[in-house]
Amino acid sequence: MSESYDFLFKFLVIGSAGSGKSCLLHQFIESKFKDDSSHTIGVEFGSKIVNVGGKSVKLQIWDTAGQERFRSVTRSYYRGAAGALLVYDITNRETFNALANWLSDARTLASPNIIILLVGNKRDLDGDREVTFLEASRFAQENELMFLETSAKTGENVEEAFLKCSKTILAKIETGELDPERIGSGIQYGDTTTRRLHRENNRRQPDCICRM
Amino acid sequence: MDDFKHKFFFFINKQVVHSRSPAVVSLNEEAVRPPTEEGNPLHRESQLETRKTHEHDPLADQDILESIEPEFFNSESFDPCNHELKKLPAKLECDAIERDFQKLQQQQLVVSKKVLQLILQKHTTFNEEFARILEVQEELKTTLCVCKKGRSDLNLAKRQFTTASLGILANYRKRQVVQGLLHSLNTIKTLQRTEERLQELLSEGNYPRAIGLLLECQSAAATYRHFTCVAALSGKLQDTLEMAEEQLDQALAKVCSHFDADHYSKVQAAYRLLGKTQMAMDQLHMHFASAIHNATFSVVHGYVELCSGGSTLYKKQFKQLCESVTAESFIPCLVDLCKALWGIMRSYHQVISWHQRNDLEKLSADGVSELVDFEASFNKQYVKQKLGNGLVRIWHDVQARVSAYLLGSDLALYKSDDFLQVLRVVHRLIEVGEEFCGSKSEELQNSIKKQSSNYFCNYHRNCLEELRIFLENESWQMCPVKPDFTLLQLQEFRSLRHVLKSWKPRGDCLNGDQTTMTSPECSSSNHSQDSSSVTGGYFARYSEAGSPFDLGLDEVQEEDILANIGDEPSGYFSDESDEDIPDELKSDFVDENVGDTVSNKHSKPSSKKMSRREFVKAPILTNTTVTVLRQCGKYLQMSHLLRPIACEVIICMSQLFDYYLYAVHTFFTADLPVTSHSLYNLKLQASLKRIQDNLILPDPSQFAESDLDQSERTKDKVPQPHISPVVDLTQQETLHGLAERVVAVESVIFLAKQLEFLQSYLEHLQGGSSFLQQFFSQTVAVTGELCHPVYMHVSAYAVDFKGILSLMAKVNWEVKEVMSQHSHYVDILLRELQIFSMRLEEVAMRVPIPREVYVILWQSIFHLTCSTFVEGFSNAKKCSNGGRGLMQLDFIQFLSKLEKLTSVRPIRGRDYVENYVKAYYLPEAALESWVREHNEYSCKQLLALVSCVCQNNKKTRQRLIALIEDMEKVGSR
Repeated sequence: MSESYDFLFKFLVIGSAGSGKSCLLHQFIESKFKDDSSHTIGVEFGSKIVNVGGKSVKLQIWDTAGQERFRSVTRSYYRGAAGALLVYDITNRETFNALANWLSDARTLASPNIIILLVGNKRDLDGDREVTFLEASRFAQENELMFLETSAKTGENVEEAFLKCSKTILAKIETGELDPERIGSGIQYGDTTTRRLHRENNRRQPDCICRM
Repeated sequence: MDDFKHKFFFFINKQVVHSRSPAVVSLNEEAVRPPTEEGNPLHRESQLETRKTHEHDPLADQDILESIEPEFFNSESFDPCNHELKKLPAKLECDAIERDFQKLQQQQLVVSKKVLQLILQKHTTFNEEFARILEVQEELKTTLCVCKKGRSDLNLAKRQFTTASLGILANYRKRQVVQGLLHSLNTIKTLQRTEERLQELLSEGNYPRAIGLLLECQSAAATYRHFTCVAALSGKLQDTLEMAEEQLDQALAKVCSHFDADHYSKVQAAYRLLGKTQMAMDQLHMHFASAIHNATFSVVHGYVELCSGGSTLYKKQFKQLCESVTAESFIPCLVDLCKALWGIMRSYHQVISWHQRNDLEKLSADGVSELVDFEASFNKQYVKQKLGNGLVRIWHDVQARVSAYLLGSDLALYKSDDFLQVLRVVHRLIEVGEEFCGSKSEELQNSIKKQSSNYFCNYHRNCLEELRIFLENESWQMCPVKPDFTLLQLQEFRSLRHVLKSWKPRGDCLNGDQTTMTSPECSSSNHSQDSSSVTGGYFARYSEAGSPFDLGLDEVQEEDILANIGDEPSGYFSDESDEDIPDELKSDFVDENVGDTVSNKHSKPSSKKMSRREFVKAPILTNTTVTVLRQCGKYLQMSHLLRPIACEVIICMSQLFDYYLYAVHTFFTADLPVTSHSLYNLKLQASLKRIQDNLILPDPSQFAESDLDQSERTKDKVPQPHISPVVDLTQQETLHGLAERVVAVESVIFLAKQLEFLQSYLEHLQGGSSFLQQFFSQTVAVTGELCHPVYMHVSAYAVDFKGILSLMAKVNWEVKEVMSQHSHYVDILLRELQIFSMRLEEVAMRVPIPREVYVILWQSIFHLTCSTFVEGFSNAKKCSNGGRGLMQLDFIQFLSKLEKLTSVRPIRGRDYVENYVKAYYLPEAALESWVREHNEYSCKQLLALVSCVCQNNKKTRQRLIALIEDMEKVGSR
């Protein structure tokens, strides 16, 4: 609570089950590989303050369950996300094939300006690769995504992925392309006193209930 | 005559003396010769005369002789001539002279004769005597010869024997002395040489021999003390001894870091030789103390240096140094610290066991001989005591160092896993301490308590903050879990599963596979409950190498907790349980969703396909509920490891629930009017008030920026949560978010149930404090009451009661005859209720709505509609009998349709309406008592009733109105 930051970005980590989303987050937050991880139930949460271009940005990251049955729970977290990491497993073709669906979900449910970074995880298992770098970058290019290959196990590119995404958002704020004041932008100013002003005004006043 | 003889002898003697050696030879001639004085012619004449006169009468001779003047016999200085001359008279007379002459001549003759006579008389004797003299002379001569010979012989002997042999003797003696000296010198030389040998022995570590040798040398040196060189040598030996003792001391110091029985035996033997067994013990303890000091310092210093690379670090105190340890290196440093201390403690432990073993061996060795050396036994006693006391002291030192280290850093910002790791390490250390000296490690406990509560405060604050984020993002969707989900299936509870189950024999509420697992667990718990048997062997287990602290940080972590807590026997259970949640979840739902996942993976929420049966079975909970449960698991783990702050942890855990409860209440009752207090259970209301006061930050808009001093008070508080904008509670179609409300309320109830499941365990942890009892009875138990205020909104907006009221106002209640057709508003009301019911069914498709919720919803609708009926009827200023009949007809119509609409019974409020309507028919007197009795109606309703009843009787009306107004004033209503 005591920490201070300039911006708060709401991030999402999405992608098919088993693509390593939770490990990616764990690696980013704890700088450790979590090798005993089980399937995520619903959503998990992690936050970290990073320094991007001289600004300190608090990332509020929602790590969603990849399993289909949690979709109804996880979808509600899409709203108002400023950035998303769309994760697939380079050793599993299925997870790559599902990307289009995930992407459309993200585009429709989250803020329309959401910055999405495509992440090909498990780069350390290059021998079992089923999705080539080229193919994935073509997909990224076609869908206007940024693209990185990472390894949650070795930590390669993990921090970069989050930083790259944050950097892009920050740049868009500076150019005015993104407006942090807009509701559902997924961006908040770090100043805690002004943080909740909008929400207060927005509260629905119920109609007068009849007397009991 | 005697005189003469005398004179003569004297003379002879004189002669002999005068011519000693020559006289001897010439003695004979002298003796023959007349004496010189008589050699003169006169003498000779007289001689002749004497001879001539010799025949004369001897008498005459005698006379003449006697006539001789005596002066003549005066031998000395008598001059006869002179004497005679003097005698001559002045007148010389020839005659006289001639007479004198004659006389003298005669006298001379007589004397000569007499002398001759005497000489002759004595001659033989003389000869005899002379021969004897010669004989003596001859003997003297031979004696002289003997003497001379003897002397020369003696000289020879002296020269030939004495000098030589004495020389030999002297030489012999000298040789012996020199030989002795040589021996001494050799010894001294050896002594000097020993130096090298000593060094050799010392470097070999053969201390007893070295000391023995040294002592031998010293005693040898003592015997040669009289040599000056030895004095210096013994000084040197003393130095060497001191040096050797110093080396011995160093060797003793080595024992601290690495105990080697051989080495230690040698050192002890050496000290025993020195007679310094006690001193060695004291010294050993000093070494242990400094070893602890140095080891800890160097470990921490190493880490600090690694991080900062500063050079002035050595000047820092240990405490300051501890403060400079960076967060990343804290744990490895702590582990290393513990390892280092472990090494020292292990050495000490081995020293003790060495002594015990040694004593035993000695006992068995000289067990038979009763005679025990007093000093030895005294030493033994001393050593035993000292070692016993040393345990506590060493542990105290260890504790102090680790405590200083722990307190030196601010652990508040650590990751929970890391902090748990720290706790585990310290916990392990405390166990080691327990085994080491039975200490309860209060200092360590205190510092860990301090750090823990410090850490925990911060951790808890973050948890609450995180919980707020979760709540504010919560969409109140049902989180699909398997029907028999309990918190025990969460990973966070993995280590607690067993304890929890043994605490609560509620096997029936858990599913089958868990009950089958109970038996191996139970047996294992019996093994591990005797914690001493498991942990008892730290010193035995790691006696050779390793330490209880060199577990890999990550991989063995799990096992580590288990070992610490002593719940689970092995990885057997945890390995399986790792996967058991997702697997079972899958088996429950994936089967159902196979078609769905294959056909269109992303288009539809899968829950729509769930059958109603599944709904009823599955517990309703949200993502946030799971999060809270996970946190509870973590808190429990902490309280387990941190018994001292267990109370605090549990209180904080209750705050998680409080906050969740409070959030649900705030989110879903915000749309309630303030006047609806009657909906609240008193306990629930008190609990909510308590939560708001204790946990929730005042609204920032009310809370002025300048009140900085309030920050202290609000430090542990959380801001008011705000419902996620995703959740829409205004849509009539969704019954004002009924689905979300159900999920929210049910999730709190589920949470409450899970907590109740933990209750007895928590009470055990907290040690019977009243806090928990209060928490459970005041807050957890009344959670279910939350449904009333939460669902009220749904019911309240199910029907447009205002519209109904206005429709009712339009009804003409002054109809003359009894109507056969009910009023139109009843149809409208029923249609709206029908819509509500349909929507309810729709919602129930998405979320399982528990029966109780139906009941609550319908009951409040009953309540509301009945109130509306009464209110609507009371709005009628005037009313005829026919109108009253219509009211009854309307209500009966409503009831009969309603009974088809819902299965919820009884329809409460029925009497409320009917009584009100029927009161119209009461006689005036009865009406008064009725008014008195029925205070459930409002003043306005009663007044309306009275004015309808007494339309024509103004007096009664006035009286009753006065009565009602009085009652209103007195507040009896």
